Amino acid sequence: MTAPRSLRWRLLAATLVGLGLALVLAGFALQALFRQHVQRQFEATLVTQLDQVTAHLDFDAQGQPRVDTRRLWDPRWERPYAGLYWQIDAVQPAEPRPAVLRSRSLWDAQLTLPPDVLSAGDVHVHAGHGPAGEALLIVERTVRKAGAGDARWRLAVAAAVEPMEAALRGFARVLAASLASLLVLLGLAAWAQVVVGLRPLRALQRGLQDVQHARRARLEGRFPAELQPLVDDFNRVLDQNAEVVARSRTQAGNLAHALKTPLAVIAQVAAAAPPGNEWAPQVLAQVDLAHRQVDWHLARARLSGGGPVPGRRCAVGPVVQGLLRVMARVHGDRAVDMRLEQGEGAPDFAGDPQDLQEILGNLLDNASKWARGVVRVSIGRTDDTASRLRVVIEDDGPGIEAGQLERATARGVRLDESVPGSGWGLAIVSESVQWLGGVLHLERSALGGLRAVVDLPAAP
Amino acid sequence: MRILLVEDEPELRAHLHKGLERAGYTVDLADNGEDALHLGDTEPFDAVVLDLGLPRIDGLTVLQRWREAGRRMPVMILTARDRWHDKVAGIDAGADDYLTKPFHPEELFARLRGLIRRAHGHASPLLRCGELTLDTRSGQVRYRGETVALTAHEYKLLEHLMLRPGAVLSRTELTEHLYAQEVERDSNTIEVFMARLRRKLPGLGLETVRGRGYRLAPPP
Repeated sequence: MTAPRSLRWRLLAATLVGLGLALVLAGFALQALFRQHVQRQFEATLVTQLDQVTAHLDFDAQGQPRVDTRRLWDPRWERPYAGLYWQIDAVQPAEPRPAVLRSRSLWDAQLTLPPDVLSAGDVHVHAGHGPAGEALLIVERTVRKAGAGDARWRLAVAAAVEPMEAALRGFARVLAASLASLLVLLGLAAWAQVVVGLRPLRALQRGLQDVQHARRARLEGRFPAELQPLVDDFNRVLDQNAEVVARSRTQAGNLAHALKTPLAVIAQVAAAAPPGNEWAPQVLAQVDLAHRQVDWHLARARLSGGGPVPGRRCAVGPVVQGLLRVMARVHGDRAVDMRLEQGEGAPDFAGDPQDLQEILGNLLDNASKWARGVVRVSIGRTDDTASRLRVVIEDDGPGIEAGQLERATARGVRLDESVPGSGWGLAIVSESVQWLGGVLHLERSALGGLRAVVDLPAAP
Repeated sequence: MRILLVEDEPELRAHLHKGLERAGYTVDLADNGEDALHLGDTEPFDAVVLDLGLPRIDGLTVLQRWREAGRRMPVMILTARDRWHDKVAGIDAGADDYLTKPFHPEELFARLRGLIRRAHGHASPLLRCGELTLDTRSGQVRYRGETVALTAHEYKLLEHLMLRPGAVLSRTELTEHLYAQEVERDSNTIEVFMARLRRKLPGLGLETVRGRGYRLAPPP
């Protein structure tokens, strides 16, 4: 069995199946009760008719029964095959003689009574067939004339059951129609209930989408008592996640500090060595390599600690402006003209501002380092359907040779063989960008140097 | 040139101290934020090399307080905090340069020179005054096409005067820039150095402004 696609259909199907079964059962039960009731009524009427015929039964001088038909009020007695009959069979004393007397409605036919022995006063009910082959209900009793010895007669009254059956069929039709309408109404009510009942789930779904699309950091708002614990737990997980991120960043920073100061001391010692010392250059080179290793792994640790944090967004302009202020100072010796072009409707970055700062900072630093006099930064949107954030950083420096462009951002590029003109930082940047779900593209700039294009997820 | 070096790691501080002195700077030391703040507030430094992770008062706070108090000396942050987030915070707090550990001592010195030069409004590492040139990178002084040999103190004095051509510098100010705090100061030595400079650089407009100090007259 395949899993039902939606909770709503599941609830609705269960409700409808239950309702349907209950209504069908109710229909049968009601029909049976009604039939019982109508049948009893019918029998009671027949017994009344039997009593009437019995009341007007008389015996002549020979002891033969006689019925004063003028005093039987029901006109059907007189109409042939009218569906209401009476008949008197002689049972005793001689051999039985059927139909000694009968109603005019029997015309030339007679009722065939099943063999039966009745004690005095008993009324028995039988099913039988009438002159037209119609189904009949027959009631009979045995009568004897007082003082006429053993002479006994079976007095039977029969009526066609067809009118009763017709009434029952009519009732069944009405009953079925009523129950069907009831089912439809209840179904609609169930549907409304499910829709209203599941509305908080919709709200929850929207909240989760907001979190996923970085519009919110937590699930906002109050939910029904059944959902609130789930929402609270989820928020706790989100909070915990954010806390773990913050903690791992702090730890990464601490590790950096712990390693870098000793490295700086070693570099100082090596640099202070007298000229011509054979160890000093080697030590300095190794310190450099160690520095790169620390940076490389720190960058990775920060990223895996960070990653795409749900619910974060940050404006790109202020981040770039802050970095440009740093560039103006750090590369202040090299009068580089740095300009920021912010396109209309440039989106926000869907993520942590520090991650964006790391990526753009390294690219800007690289551009400023190699630029002859110009660095251009532009913030905009990609043209494709994904409509992502695009930051382009270009310079008029020497650039990277076409054949080396690929290698500058290659995964697992060896730290001691950086591509000339790029620095090993580009490999870190490339990996960071990929981690954040973006792409780093390097190409030749119209300015002459390197053109780095970063596409990153945009906040909706 | 008088430098304040603020660094709490003793090994690194000792090595930097030596290196800076070798590069011709007069160096004052501080190993915590409180001392650094006090020194920067009371002594005239040409530049400060400031670590961020300091005991007592954080380096960033020290820097902010200096700037709030109107201290304008160039400050280079020297720290292991290499996140761009930290760099932006440092620059925005008023730092003029930001160098991360580990670093090449040569780079530190080069940047420090640039920092001091820029603080005086000189874009080029080469200071000029008529026929006199002073290369802040190599410490070489040339006068009328000839290389002039100067002692460390003579060089410091000349560089200070050349950074502010035409300005009158008091004896106290020159002394303060020449000597670290702990050294016994004697303003009379300035006169001795000035006399030597005049002898080594004849015809240069090294003037005594009576009652106020000295100035390097711009060439006619």
